[in-house]
Amino acid sequence: MSSVLRATGLSKSFGGLVAVKDVSFEAAPGEIFAIIGPNGAGKTTLLNLISGLLTPTTGRLELLGTDVTAMPTYRRCRLGLGRAFQVVQPFPEMTVAENVLVGAQFGSEGVSSSEARRRADQALERTGLDRLRDQPVEDLNLLQEKRLEIARALATQPKVLLLDEVMAGLRPGEARQAVELVRGVRDEGITVVFIEHVMPVVRDLADRVLVMDHGAELARGTYAEVTSDPRVVEAYLGVEDDDSRAGEESADARSVREAPGDDAGATAGRDA
Amino acid sequence: MDLSLLPQAIVSGVLASGLYALVSVGLALAIGVIGIVNFAHGEFFMVGAFLAYQLFVSFGFDPLLSLLFVAPALAVIGALIYLSSIRFVLRAPELNQMLLTFGIGIILQNLALLIWGGDPRTIANVPYRSLGFQVAGVSIGAVPLGSFVISLLLVAGLYWMLASTPLGRAMRAVAQNRIGAGLVGLEVDRVYLVAFALSALLAGLGGVMIGVIQSPTPTVGLGFTLKAFAIVVLAGLGNIRGIVGAALTVALAESLVATLVPNGDALRNMVFFAIIFVVLVWRSRRVA
Repeated sequence: MSSVLRATGLSKSFGGLVAVKDVSFEAAPGEIFAIIGPNGAGKTTLLNLISGLLTPTTGRLELLGTDVTAMPTYRRCRLGLGRAFQVVQPFPEMTVAENVLVGAQFGSEGVSSSEARRRADQALERTGLDRLRDQPVEDLNLLQEKRLEIARALATQPKVLLLDEVMAGLRPGEARQAVELVRGVRDEGITVVFIEHVMPVVRDLADRVLVMDHGAELARGTYAEVTSDPRVVEAYLGVEDDDSRAGEESADARSVREAPGDDAGATAGRDA
Repeated sequence: MDLSLLPQAIVSGVLASGLYALVSVGLALAIGVIGIVNFAHGEFFMVGAFLAYQLFVSFGFDPLLSLLFVAPALAVIGALIYLSSIRFVLRAPELNQMLLTFGIGIILQNLALLIWGGDPRTIANVPYRSLGFQVAGVSIGAVPLGSFVISLLLVAGLYWMLASTPLGRAMRAVAQNRIGAGLVGLEVDRVYLVAFALSALLAGLGGVMIGVIQSPTPTVGLGFTLKAFAIVVLAGLGNIRGIVGAALTVALAESLVATLVPNGDALRNMVFFAIIFVVLVWRSRRVA
């Protein structure tokens, strides 16, 4: 099967610091691909290389068979790459609907105003934001902001969606809704590449997992494969014990796992 | 102080405010969308005035007709200046940007001096120049009234464009979050180019009108940069919606000082500096 996103030997250095070191991977159509690793492993730098906010020092990146290594962000977006940020990047003085409309209007070439509105409405509906459409963005809570970020990215009609820690800071029930949303997106044939700290979310969602440490690939495979890899346990999970942030997140994660609505996966499975 | 002049001073101030708003809204657009403080903005205004003068002298064009020719001309001039210089300093320190735009202003001013000389030029022989009417002892000239109406229509058109068209939405998106805009497919550099050309266009149209109202020289621009700057500062840097109210305030202040204060006409420019000074001091106290 051909890949929709292929990185070959991607590296990025800032002065003497190598943030990403010779990373290669491919994401297949309709796949959910997770990138995990301890803080400072280079995950966000890798995502910035993919979305075009940074240009790699060496290496090559292909999106849907096109070399996009040095392509500016707006052209990658029009080619089919959507991104939702960990730190949300909305247009703060617009309404929810207008934010999404900008994505719908400019995310693809030659979209008529009526078509843009249709796409925006669709994205709002899919992310459960249609009732908030006329709210100013500054009135949204964190979950709603993250939904908006995803809605705006979806409105650009992506073929690949990059999600940067969209679960961080969400309460268990909210994270569950977000997991369902990501599954729904994948079920429409959109490839999802995501960075996540909340391990049960990775377990529930990811078809394949890339584990990074110190900028380089440490392991790759299914969730079960990588979490049983002793190197991963040492480098990644071992950090959890003496890292209060990771500890907090794993508490979050436990509650996701134990929360009563844990059949979210089953529901999505039936829908599919 | 002669209070019998008060109604006339108010009417003159209100009528001047339209043109002030038109020129300032272009400056605010460049600041708000591109983040560049353009000290050559008044020179676009001056170029508009002298192009209209030349069209009048060479072809007998009525200034109203010249508006249609000056608009695209200034958009092209603005676009060329953006492409040849402004876009290279977008990430440079603000001082560099200001020095660049100030230098562009000096170049434009001296080009105009070379072409038209230093004498005041006026578009005199238009039939409506001396028309006017009296309402309750207040005289209202057709030209100031016309420029007020045309200016407000243009400003309203800009507001509508920003609020309701894809281009306007693109400009607001780029102004509010440049990174987010790029990630949803907006070509930020092109939006900047269009915003800068539009900014120059609006200033140029204001210039056409000043050519009928006053007798401008090639140095008229700096004064209008200053006025526009006072208005933009009063509205809040980059706040486009607040421009009309701020322009009204500044124009009224100027008119009242010039009319009611003895020797007030000489104090006009002081009014703008005073407004900039007071607003900046007041804002900084509020922040601190």
